[in-house]
Amino acid sequence: MVKENLVKDVVKEPYKYGFVTDIETEKIAKGLNENIIKLISQKKEEPKYLLDFRLNAFKKWQKMKEPDWAGLGYKQIDYQDIIYYSAPKQKEKISSLDEVDPKLLETFDKLGIPLTEQKKLTNVAVDAVFDSVSIATTFREELAEHGVIFCSISEAVKNHSDLIEKYLGTVVPASDNYFAALNSAVFSDGSFVYIPKGVTCPMDLSSYFRINSGDSGQFERTLIIAEESSSVSYLEGCTAPMFDTNTLHAAVVELIALDDASIKYSTVQNWYAGDEEGIGGIFNFVTKRGKCLGKRSKISWSQVETGSAITWKYPSCLLLGEESVGEFYSVALTNNLQQADTGTKMIHIGPKTKSTIVSKGISAGNSINSYRGLVKMGTKAKGSRNYSQCDSMLIGDQASANTFPYIKSQQPNSEIEHEASTCRISEDQLFYLQSRGIEFEEAVSMMVSGFCRDVFNQLPMEFAAEADKLLALKLEGSVG
Amino acid sequence: MEIIEKIKTNKSIDNQTEIQKICLDKLRSRPLPNPKSEQWRLANKSKFSNFLDYPVNEKNPKFDTPFPNTSKSTIRLVIGNNCQINLIEKNYSIQQLTQDELDKYIKSQIFCFDQNENWSDLLNLSLSNAKNILGLKINGSKIPPIEIFSHSSGNSLNAKTLVIFLEKNCDVELLQVNLGKENSSLSQLTYFCLEENSSLNHGVVSYGENRSNLLNSLKVIQQKNSEYNLGSLHFKFDYARFEISIKQSDGYAKTNIKGMQVTKKDEQISTYTKIEFNGPNGFLDQINKSLADDESHAIFEGSIIVPKIAQKTDASQLSRNLLLSNLAQIDTKPQLEIIADDVKCKHGATISQLNEDELFYMRSRGITLPEASKLQLSSYFQEIISFIPISKDRWDLLDKLLNEK
Repeated sequence: MVKENLVKDVVKEPYKYGFVTDIETEKIAKGLNENIIKLISQKKEEPKYLLDFRLNAFKKWQKMKEPDWAGLGYKQIDYQDIIYYSAPKQKEKISSLDEVDPKLLETFDKLGIPLTEQKKLTNVAVDAVFDSVSIATTFREELAEHGVIFCSISEAVKNHSDLIEKYLGTVVPASDNYFAALNSAVFSDGSFVYIPKGVTCPMDLSSYFRINSGDSGQFERTLIIAEESSSVSYLEGCTAPMFDTNTLHAAVVELIALDDASIKYSTVQNWYAGDEEGIGGIFNFVTKRGKCLGKRSKISWSQVETGSAITWKYPSCLLLGEESVGEFYSVALTNNLQQADTGTKMIHIGPKTKSTIVSKGISAGNSINSYRGLVKMGTKAKGSRNYSQCDSMLIGDQASANTFPYIKSQQPNSEIEHEASTCRISEDQLFYLQSRGIEFEEAVSMMVSGFCRDVFNQLPMEFAAEADKLLALKLEGSVG
Repeated sequence: MEIIEKIKTNKSIDNQTEIQKICLDKLRSRPLPNPKSEQWRLANKSKFSNFLDYPVNEKNPKFDTPFPNTSKSTIRLVIGNNCQINLIEKNYSIQQLTQDELDKYIKSQIFCFDQNENWSDLLNLSLSNAKNILGLKINGSKIPPIEIFSHSSGNSLNAKTLVIFLEKNCDVELLQVNLGKENSSLSQLTYFCLEENSSLNHGVVSYGENRSNLLNSLKVIQQKNSEYNLGSLHFKFDYARFEISIKQSDGYAKTNIKGMQVTKKDEQISTYTKIEFNGPNGFLDQINKSLADDESHAIFEGSIIVPKIAQKTDASQLSRNLLLSNLAQIDTKPQLEIIADDVKCKHGATISQLNEDELFYMRSRGITLPEASKLQLSSYFQEIISFIPISKDRWDLLDKLLNEK
């Protein structure tokens, strides 16, 4: 009896981050055409090369077709019914955080992201993005001392134009795919990180994305460049309010690692997933790709995907440099009517490159959770290795778990190993834990957390604890 | 693609049967599979169009088997060579299906065809005339081993169809041999229907000659408590495609598959398997091996589908591949689609080359490098070959694989 009540209470618990901040925003008209793109570019006072980049991407996007190979079921997106630029109204120039609208600060406080001076205790620098613009970046001076550039991409366009011009679109070209092309045409803001030669970034960098407006899409773009022998750990978090409508989020993330550099990119994605009937929720179509350009460079993706009505995301590594390393650690949890099609691409081009893929999918309710990954050994990838492991856990008899690994090898002197398994929470294990006095819900969450341990071990400390809690919360009530 | 042009203009076949008409109509609306679809995207376009370049063979020249039938107990049938069989013995019977039975069954299958997935079947049924369709129903036990040959003749496109019903409690060992002649194409379509408690040990050996092509499609329906074991080997085809579809219609069935494809020169051989569990307590153990040498390309795509009804399914799929040359390619995609929660499903895939340590060990014991690699390959092949029924006694497949250039 107690258990039943508990389950009911937990199920009722609403999405914690579903509130809307009532703030005056500046929005442009709905729709997408060349004039809108010119308007966005003009608002951001961009140089001509960037406007050309956008228009070129738009031209390509118009000729492309929305991909349907993932077999995701969602209603047609009307790209003319979306606002492509929405920003909270604030004074022209902000010199310090004190000038940021207190309502915005309050919003991020409520989300647990400290931006104000007195609360900046954790050793993490944050770039907070609200709808289409970045509103604040903390710890900038401290970072600048080490030569690290961490700012919004619009600022970078103004202050570090040479770097943007050199690297933007080199990892994910404008014509890469439908959603990347859309993003290239209309991207509004995002984060820019530059770690100079030989510098180990003194603190974790993080960006926090918040969608506030129900009718505008979010199209952010992140660019991280790690120069020779540098290293950085970057965290990304996302939330959105609850709306009955679906909101489009199409982001592009580009990472570039030069000789001996290492980038660790961690995501906890908790966009609003829609309600139990599948109404509302974010459509999350993201292109994330890292290029290991230099010798012995390393790019590591770790992600915990729990939100979004639809997730379409394949963080990838292009392993060009000799002995470069790519890693992908992922936990994807889907419940109710969520659909997730996620995985990675490890493209081995250079010799002696290595990659590791560990993917854990948990599907509950009526959800669909698919792993889709590509491992490719090019003709020059002599002595390269890949190891992939994808495990799925099914909770309830309505959920589905799919695995689609694409493996291609053109180099005999390379090794590829792939293994996958599917399981469920076993009655015996549950019974064992319960007989030891552990409550049902806790036992389930212990087992899920054990299932995901390989991935959680890869997350930065703060994230690992949060991810564990998030999974427990999302799953409660879905077993038994 | 002479044949496609003819199909489009409806000039392809004289004296069409009803089934041919239905299939030709379907093909006419979309004569070729979608090259972007999952099943066809890796197919080598020029090789595939070579397949379709030969004129359809209407006559069946006399067939000389390269493998003389030395064992008297073996029943040997050659599709297309006026083969008639009507055996009613004490323990068993092997009878020809009547035209009505055949038509009814094939029509029921065409009904659920998908244009891309069943394109090879459509082509086969469009081209294969009554002479080239063999339908059998087998009943009883202690049935002598059966060998069924399909062959193509030079400079032509040949279509052969085989339909076999295994009645209840029947236990059969059957070897199917597909022989490709030089410069020819063979389209082979095989249906097996395994009734309750029946068991089939099925071997498929497809052996080509220079520049021969093959589209081999195998459809199996397994009823409750049936057991289906398949050992298959495809080699020496310029272009070959082996499509396997197995449906466990009510669960409680067992399926074991061990398949292998060996590609050399610039050959392309691919295997597509789709295994559906439509009931609980199904079992599958599948291993597919590929070996790609020279500039060849080997492909394996396997999918396992476990819907909600198929609780307690136990399925495993393994794809093991050897890539022996810098210019060869291997693509593999073992995939799982699972909705039932109480299942054990796993798959694995590896691509590698011959094990250096083992080679070194053997060489340090005085075995030369070519011999050592032959030894390694023979153990790699042996697992599959020993699973092919009948052949293991009389045909030295291993020798063919290891020693033929």
